[in-house]
Amino acid sequence: MTTRRHVLATAAAAALLPRTARAGDDDRSRTVLMGWYRLVLELVRHTPTYSPPVAARAFAWLGLTAHEALVAAGAGQGGSLSARTNLPATLPAPDAGCDPTATLHAALSQAVPDHFGNTGPTGQRAMVAMADRLGTRATAGLDPDAAARAASLGRAVATTVFAASQGDGGATVENLGFPPVWQAPAWPGGWVPTSTIGLQQAPLLPAWGTNRPFVLASGADCGLPPPPAFSTDPGSAFYAEALEVHQVSQSLTDEQKIVARFWSDDPMLSPTPPGHWVTIVLDIGDRDSLPAARIAQALAILGIAVSDGFIANWHEKYRYDLLRPVTYIRAHIDPAWQPLLITPPFPEYPSGHSTQSGAAAAVLTALFGDPFPFDDATHEDDGLPVRSFASFAEAAREAAISRLYGGIHFRAAIEQGLAQGDCVGRAVIARLLA
Amino acid sequence: MKTALATLLLAAPAAAQTPLYVPATEEAGITHAYTGDEWGYMVGGGVAAFDCSGDALPDLWMAGGDGPATLWRNSSTSGGPLSFAPVTGSGADLSQATGAWPVDIDGDGITDLAVLRVGPDKLLRGLGDCRFDDASAALGFDGHDLWSTAFSATWEAGQTWPTLAIGTYIDRMEDAFPWGSCTETWLYRPSPAGGYAPPLALEPGHCALSILFTDWARRGTPDLRVSNDREYYKGGQEQLWRMDPGAAPRLYSEAEGWARLRIWGMGIASADITGDGLPDYFLTSMADNRLQVLAGDPSRPAFRDDAFARGATAHRPHTGNTTAPSTAWHAEFGDVNNDGRADLFIAKGNVARMPDFALEDPNNLLMQRPDGTFVEVSVAAGTASTRTARGGALVDLNADGLLDMVAVNRWDGAEVWRNATPSPGNWLMLMPRQDTGNRDAIGAFVEVRSANRTETRELWVGGGHGGGQLGWRHFGLGASDRAEVRVIWPDGTPGPWHTLPANGWWVLPRDGVPVAAPPPG
Repeated sequence: MTTRRHVLATAAAAALLPRTARAGDDDRSRTVLMGWYRLVLELVRHTPTYSPPVAARAFAWLGLTAHEALVAAGAGQGGSLSARTNLPATLPAPDAGCDPTATLHAALSQAVPDHFGNTGPTGQRAMVAMADRLGTRATAGLDPDAAARAASLGRAVATTVFAASQGDGGATVENLGFPPVWQAPAWPGGWVPTSTIGLQQAPLLPAWGTNRPFVLASGADCGLPPPPAFSTDPGSAFYAEALEVHQVSQSLTDEQKIVARFWSDDPMLSPTPPGHWVTIVLDIGDRDSLPAARIAQALAILGIAVSDGFIANWHEKYRYDLLRPVTYIRAHIDPAWQPLLITPPFPEYPSGHSTQSGAAAAVLTALFGDPFPFDDATHEDDGLPVRSFASFAEAAREAAISRLYGGIHFRAAIEQGLAQGDCVGRAVIARLLA
Repeated sequence: MKTALATLLLAAPAAAQTPLYVPATEEAGITHAYTGDEWGYMVGGGVAAFDCSGDALPDLWMAGGDGPATLWRNSSTSGGPLSFAPVTGSGADLSQATGAWPVDIDGDGITDLAVLRVGPDKLLRGLGDCRFDDASAALGFDGHDLWSTAFSATWEAGQTWPTLAIGTYIDRMEDAFPWGSCTETWLYRPSPAGGYAPPLALEPGHCALSILFTDWARRGTPDLRVSNDREYYKGGQEQLWRMDPGAAPRLYSEAEGWARLRIWGMGIASADITGDGLPDYFLTSMADNRLQVLAGDPSRPAFRDDAFARGATAHRPHTGNTTAPSTAWHAEFGDVNNDGRADLFIAKGNVARMPDFALEDPNNLLMQRPDGTFVEVSVAAGTASTRTARGGALVDLNADGLLDMVAVNRWDGAEVWRNATPSPGNWLMLMPRQDTGNRDAIGAFVEVRSANRTETRELWVGGGHGGGQLGWRHFGLGASDRAEVRVIWPDGTPGPWHTLPANGWWVLPRDGVPVAAPPPG
């Protein structure tokens, strides 16, 4: 069986081979872009810092770097994005005489360690190997002066973008994002820890909603109405939502279980939810042999959408601070209840995956259209089947409802999460694609 | 119910006697480090404790990474200072070693050594006087050229030689893209013609860092528990292979009760913590160590995590100012103050320079209290080293009935602490023996009754991180001056109960009465 891992290993080996014929510049740029991104997806999976909001942020900054590097070298799609974001920086002046591939590689070989440097010895080793291997390919055939000029431009772009990233509130993540001190909620509907992992006795990243977004004015943009009022009354709307989660869990079909696990996207066990959408874009880029500039643009805009989506989502999570289904159901419906998925260690409403999937679907639809059939092989190496979708919106809806099947969200969090994501996506489109 | 247990256990911690250790590395004369490049030797670094000299004192073998392993002969005197000397020309000083486990493979009464390596593994035959020769080829043992990291041995029914299992890690040729390249666990069964048959690959392999043949259900046949490092596997999880004599092992399924658990599995320690006569398991990881106890009856391998309820998560450094989480490697239960309750030693240390995890990560010594909860005491005990530990051992090195402590460190000197606990409880040292084959009675259960409790101990070879031990079995007795002891032998035959006075060494022959042994040394 040809798995994703085998494809990647083969690609890494191919990067080592001498080039017998000079490939087109765009092929070279695509090889560089894809090579770095495939590595980054692994770094996200294998570096504990990268909980979904943190991963989304890193994808945004890296995508912006890639896109701006190509723009600076005169090979970008749609022009610079930075000036249309909240980025407090002025990028280096374009130099259309620079080799785009070498510029892109120089930017990414600096930006990847900058944004993913928390990884362990294996990741560090892989980054060095990737820089060497892709660097050889990126500069093959260039005279030394041209290579140096491109490298200088690429590094300047990466340096500028990285400097801007340091002030967004998400640059430093301590203790994997779990605060050392946390005050339990004073009301009965508040979030309480759901796991027996010591670190997770406090909720993840409680201040993430105050970070500086790329496009939104603040995390309060795209705010949501409150969830159904908390109640233990069996006649209440809240109880009905919990009962639905419980009943669905008792009658899950095999297909629903697959859907739940397919979109589970657990940190440290997958590329995370934003990495799932990045994988979709990379696979579409491969399938359709898209130009590197178009892929880079899509990765930048997607990264910004999911990053802003998580900021808005986290803002509402800590505004409403709602308990998880497992807490409520065990207390009021079924003491022995066990959800299918691992319950994430932070408040329930709204669903983060739903918000960021809604945002991703909105911007990808704007970029690629609707309908847009694609296959999603994100978890092929983990033994989960490839799933096919007719549109990005269909995939986002499935990602959202998967949280109900998994027993980790109530329906309101799912529906409102999708709505919030769509709001974020439209804001991104208005600023970056208008 | 679980919540109620947690509340009960956390509500009323009881006082317990704190052990006292004195630094004894210099006194012991041990100078050793686990070295090698950051990636190639990021795991391993174990210590094996066993008697190679014939004086019944445990000697120490330490993995050296890209340097040679060293064997240290123990010449300590009973109750005195620790004294060791390196054995030159032992035949066990292999380079590229990650760990070793002592086991009497050929049943000759002289302990052999299975040495795991970044490269072909070796079976070293014990010759006596701390000399070994490489018997791999003679035994038909194909050690493969892999990155081996985990070992266990069991005697399957009817066999005079052990079945060996070796867990392997990453395909080290995939250094630029290692994720998803986990290699197999290999099962070596004895050949009817002698030696070992070609090994059986247990697939899928999920980058095992600790494995253990253990009879978790007391069904009479140990199964193979595998703790895997989620850093590198794709689609992986913790594994439990069902072992039946003569049959190919098979994985227990979710339908049978085995719940999917995915951690950075690095080490397995086992003891009966709940007092139900069944083994419980402490699994080391990064920030999410687990204490798994059987959730229901032994008909299903369904475990729950009791680490949080019992105060044994050990997820964060207990000294210093860092808020970063811990990285745990070797773990071992042992009664360090002889109060009759198993305590827990955990060797800690950053993988290399992982900024997400504590760089100053002190080892743990979790003392079990009468209510079954644990409390961290290593600072008071004097063992809270922040060197980058990997392997370790709790073992009585100077024949005083107290468990001393050993830690092997990455790029830094190994450390030894002598247990000098004032007024400890009473103790017994036991050595079940069979006449042939499985002489050390691996797979037996030893029961020790004193005062109002019974301690049940499974005898196994394996687990830990990078090493294990073979020799005297230490039991704390608290204030009891005697204990009733029996052995349930590996074939399930229960031996008779014997009453033994405390504070002595006893050989327990299968077909005879206990024999008092002189203090080792």
